[in-house]
Amino acid sequence: MRAYMIRRLGHSIFIILGIMALLFFAINVLGDPVQLLVDEEATQEMIDSLRAKYGFDRPLYVRLGEFYKNLAVLDFGKSIRHRIDAGGMVLDRIPNTFALGLVAWGLGSLGIPLGILAARRPRGIVDRIVNVMSFAIISIPDFWLALMLILLVSVQMGLLPTSGHDGLGPGGWKYIILPAIALCPRVLGRNAQITRATMIEELGKQYVSTARAKGLGENTVLYTHVLKNASIAIVTLLGAELAGFMNGATVVEVIFRWPGLGQLLIEAINYRDLPVVTAAVFTIALIVMITNLIVDLIYTWLDPRIVYK
Amino acid sequence: MTNQTATLDKRTNPVASVLQRPLVQAFFNDPITYISAAFVIIVVLGAIFAPIASPHDPKEQQLPLRHLPPFSSGEAVVDNTVKPYVTETRFYIFGTDHLGRDYLSRLMWGGRISLAVGVLGVLCSSSLGIFLGLAAGYFRGVVDDIIMRAVDVFMAVPLLLLALMVIYILGASFINILIVFAVARWMIYCRVTRGVVLSLREQTFIESARAIGCSDRRIIVRHVLPNLLTPLMTLATLDVPGTILTESTLSFLGFGIQPPESSWGLMLASGREYIQTAWWIVVIPGLAIFLTALSFNLFGVWMRAVSDPLQRWRWLKATREAKEAGVST
Repeated sequence: MRAYMIRRLGHSIFIILGIMALLFFAINVLGDPVQLLVDEEATQEMIDSLRAKYGFDRPLYVRLGEFYKNLAVLDFGKSIRHRIDAGGMVLDRIPNTFALGLVAWGLGSLGIPLGILAARRPRGIVDRIVNVMSFAIISIPDFWLALMLILLVSVQMGLLPTSGHDGLGPGGWKYIILPAIALCPRVLGRNAQITRATMIEELGKQYVSTARAKGLGENTVLYTHVLKNASIAIVTLLGAELAGFMNGATVVEVIFRWPGLGQLLIEAINYRDLPVVTAAVFTIALIVMITNLIVDLIYTWLDPRIVYK
Repeated sequence: MTNQTATLDKRTNPVASVLQRPLVQAFFNDPITYISAAFVIIVVLGAIFAPIASPHDPKEQQLPLRHLPPFSSGEAVVDNTVKPYVTETRFYIFGTDHLGRDYLSRLMWGGRISLAVGVLGVLCSSSLGIFLGLAAGYFRGVVDDIIMRAVDVFMAVPLLLLALMVIYILGASFINILIVFAVARWMIYCRVTRGVVLSLREQTFIESARAIGCSDRRIIVRHVLPNLLTPLMTLATLDVPGTILTESTLSFLGFGIQPPESSWGLMLASGREYIQTAWWIVVIPGLAIFLTALSFNLFGVWMRAVSDPLQRWRWLKATREAKEAGVST
């Protein structure tokens, strides 16, 4: 187990280094970092002076070495637009992204009971409705749903604020509801589908017949036997979705002006703020890795048959 | 006797013989599937024939007629060189946008771009993925290791993040968006291809092909690729709606299709400011994206079900039983 964890950790670090190498390669080889910093009207002198100022005139391998050295000490440099530490800017956004992600994830997990309901009678009326509905909500563009929610709930009915953010304390709950609803459908639908599919698959196995034959009630069979065995697939999915939410819901954050990681990244790209882009990409990759690692650990706890070597 | 006529019909009439196949009959017995297939066909035809079929010029502005609600008509100026202006009465099924352009025409022309990106994007990502997957699965060894490590790295990056990075560095254009999809979605095709190739290369027909002296290229093209077609077709169909949704998201954020070209996502983005005065500007393109994605999804699921022999058998049995139950009651 311990050896596995160490290897798994090494693998994660390799992937993060790979992602950052990809970013470095893309910025420095495919593009020109100075071109990314200036807009179209910049003169050649400006470009040259910037190139010298940020050290982009040095050879590639020196810059790659420095890039990784700065990553190791988590120093991303100062934001070009705000002139404050880029790493700090990203850290400030993490709680907001986490809060929004958690609420949306919680709403999305309501798909699990729907899936169970559908699996009770495969091809029955409930099953058919849940099946088509789950595909329907997967196909909704989230930014469109966000605009529709603003139009109906905020503008027409005046129930909730159209956008904004007021801390994560008790006063801020009003602002988190609409973005969370706009974010959850895809996850809700996928949860319902996977739960339904795994439950139906499990229901065809022999232990179910045994359980029924020894006279257990249908509910006991369904909830204590089938659901428990189906839960491994469901937890995998929930973990992947949590990781997905943690990297910032870009479009929804932009529409609702929710100050999360996704919005920061878009802003940084629009203002050509290279240090912030690097810091944001690194943080997002790191969060995704850590979530995946935790999900792996939960497996062993859920399914003792899994032995990691 | 009746059986005999049925077989005779089958032999003489090719249309009837196609219609009598269980798969085709099952298709027409499942309303959800054929309605979604029909919708996909309508949208695709509308996009292909937009230059002929669109009622008006999608770029022609009629400022006095801006923000006309759906199902209304107005006097459009056809010629403003003579006084009084020459006008004609036009009927706007989907209304007009903030510049007085016919929204139905814009929807059809925007659909051309959205669908083109959806289909071409999937073609790009699948070609890259299939190529690398074939290389990894067929040659194994170091090639396999390198490609699969690359898959791991790319899989760990969120799709939208990867897309934004590519656009950030290369700039936004139609070709670059296709590159985005090639770079951001090739991994799944690579994995599936590699998996199938790994199991195929152990089978005797590949071994015999090699024994009679076929070149690697011939084995891959003539023996391996045909076996990959069914799983990859299904995967690609299910990937189209995701690609359309991602394109609309990118365009909405301003990182996708650039004006004066238009796609459904861009129509939504430009209508955002008028959401309170002209709801249809936002509702209609959103519905177009939603219904197209849904139809592709439902049709893709049906394809997946019938392309898997075991699932197809269950599915046909269920349809037959449903039909018999319907007859008996």
